Amino acid sequence: MTDRNAFLEKIADHLGKKRDRRVQPDVSTHLAETREQASARADRMRKEARDNATALLGALQEGATAQGWVVHRVPSPEDAADAVIDICQRSAARSVLLARMEALSRVPVEKTLKAAGIDVTVAARPEGEAYSEEARLAVRRAAFTADVGITGVDYAVAETGTVVLHPRGGVSRLVSLAPPRHIAIIEKGQVLPSLDELFALEREAFHAGRLTSSYNLISGPSRTGDIGATIVQGVHGPVEVHMVLIG
Amino acid sequence: MEVKTRAFKGKANETLADPVLQKSLENVYSGFHLRRIQAGGATPGWDEQRDRARAIKAHTIANLDYYLDMLVRNVEAKGGKVHFADDGKEAARFVVDLARSRGVKTVIKSKSMVSEEIGLNDLLEAESIEPVETDLGEYIIQLARETPYHIIAPAIHKTPEQVAELLAAKSGGPKKTTAKEMTAVARTLLRDAFQRADMGVTGVNFAVAETGSITLVTNEGNGRMCTSAPRIHVALMGMEKVVPSMADLSAFLRILIRSATGQRISAYVSVVNGPRAAGDEDGPEEFHLVIVDNNRSRLLKDAALRESLYCIRCGACMNACPVYRKVGGHSYGWVYPGPIGAVVSPVMSGLKEGKALPFASSLCGACREVCPVRIDIPSMLLHLRSELAEGADRSQRSAGVVDRASFRLWRFGMSGRGRFDLGARLVRFVLWPLSRRGWTGWLPFPLGGWTSTRRFKVPAGRSFVARWRNRQGGA
Repeated sequence: MTDRNAFLEKIADHLGKKRDRRVQPDVSTHLAETREQASARADRMRKEARDNATALLGALQEGATAQGWVVHRVPSPEDAADAVIDICQRSAARSVLLARMEALSRVPVEKTLKAAGIDVTVAARPEGEAYSEEARLAVRRAAFTADVGITGVDYAVAETGTVVLHPRGGVSRLVSLAPPRHIAIIEKGQVLPSLDELFALEREAFHAGRLTSSYNLISGPSRTGDIGATIVQGVHGPVEVHMVLIG
Repeated sequence: MEVKTRAFKGKANETLADPVLQKSLENVYSGFHLRRIQAGGATPGWDEQRDRARAIKAHTIANLDYYLDMLVRNVEAKGGKVHFADDGKEAARFVVDLARSRGVKTVIKSKSMVSEEIGLNDLLEAESIEPVETDLGEYIIQLARETPYHIIAPAIHKTPEQVAELLAAKSGGPKKTTAKEMTAVARTLLRDAFQRADMGVTGVNFAVAETGSITLVTNEGNGRMCTSAPRIHVALMGMEKVVPSMADLSAFLRILIRSATGQRISAYVSVVNGPRAAGDEDGPEEFHLVIVDNNRSRLLKDAALRESLYCIRCGACMNACPVYRKVGGHSYGWVYPGPIGAVVSPVMSGLKEGKALPFASSLCGACREVCPVRIDIPSMLLHLRSELAEGADRSQRSAGVVDRASFRLWRFGMSGRGRFDLGARLVRFVLWPLSRRGWTGWLPFPLGGWTSTRRFKVPAGRSFVARWRNRQGGA
């Protein structure tokens, strides 16, 4: 492969200058914002998301509907579990895949689903067990055969009707992607107004050494317009996506 | 990808005469251009977002060496590997060698224009490694063994009937009639590939220097599949794709997606910060980022063309272009069609071969109007035209002997009062016998092209100046 320095020297040369070791970021980029400023801004954003939690849930409901989510707003975690069962039964689901997330420990999904005779699998290796290729393939097999995948969320974004998920221990990348239906459970206080807040918080997470290996913004069902410019849902990801909003 | 830019005129004429292609091309306007207009109109602070994005791009490209260096260090800090490729051959060779050394038999691919540039699929096949395109449009194109027609809708020229035949032949099943049924067939075929493949190859929409991340924008979920299911992820990026900060992504995603499809956001945006972390349930064990020049440095070097590297590949300029919407994507003969393609394709793949492309424009300015980062495409087309006509490299000059002689004559005639008056009288003298009722509809070679679609008014018997003098004298 081409040597890195040779490659970068050539670029500098074409720009008619020597290689810069330090560049003052232009004011248009957020790089111009210092760590302290970024962290103070993130604190303000978190406070606003808490203070306006109810209004933001309403805004999310609107944004998500526009993006093709089916939105269910319920008052309590118990009602959320009922909404989940209802969705599963209506789609005649027989096997459900769960992420291991905090929200799902508050919403009694697993118990209720099992009582309804639906097969439940957690899309993760048992807690404490080390990662292995076999464990990864087992999760993948489960994801490609399940009828429904259920997750909590790490953030939601009202502007774009978006759910944000950080893959990690307990949260497979595939649980919200491979099954034909995805249900996202969202609690009050998790909603951000816009993409600006989301990426500002991710940037802060990077500064704090908390940035995950990847994250996904999910804004509605999988779709395509590649055949005759007709929109069809459910190409590689879910054909149908549900949001259960608690609060 | 094979360079066929020389064939522009023939291919364009073929397309114009093909009623099926003309019908399909209508979708470009209704499906994309109108939706983009609505989306822009409904977006608060739309123009401010565009200005901000342009300013960020200008700053980043002006300091590209610095930001690429920052990107590399941050990708490596999180366990990713970075590779530089001067040209397409080197990039494709790297991916194939990596696949072979890891025992990969099947590669799943999410849409990547760089992969088209470097002809990756052909090289993989030559080494008996199966490449599977997973964007539905790209998959259709792969089955048809064609090249993309549009950068965000690669199969827009294929009718549903043609797609049905391709899918039936591949699946061995019956021919389907609706887009929904056909999509279901493709879903089944590709799900199998997702579970078989050991390597995922993707493009890069934006790379973030500060965090060493790459971003993928898709609607189908294939980008997520390619970065979730296989054990190796290779991302191919043009060297201009870098932005400084993660917090800059919101502005870029807004303008990219609204300009591309008119959506507020695509169904999926994936941000990849590196290979899987120790505690993760899944994700690739290896992450390779390949940074490709492939003659982008020619665009960088020429200050008049540099801003073509601000392009975020949304496709809005082709949707707005009255020429693209008639001659279609294949006429342009290389990876990038439409107005931005008329600038970058000839420069990247050889100006001599692609000299017809900068002239495939009426310079109406619709592309500059819609470009989310306000790239001045018409000015760059004019720059290339003058480069071709008068550039230092005589072998690349496009203007023929007749052109040169006529313009020399024109300059001579226009640069003196007496000569101008004489010229006007001469034109009238020549045109008069060819005209009826003051109009002429036919001129002999080499001027016949002008009159094949329009008529000319013959200059009046007495010039304006003569009449003016007469009036002044009479008053």
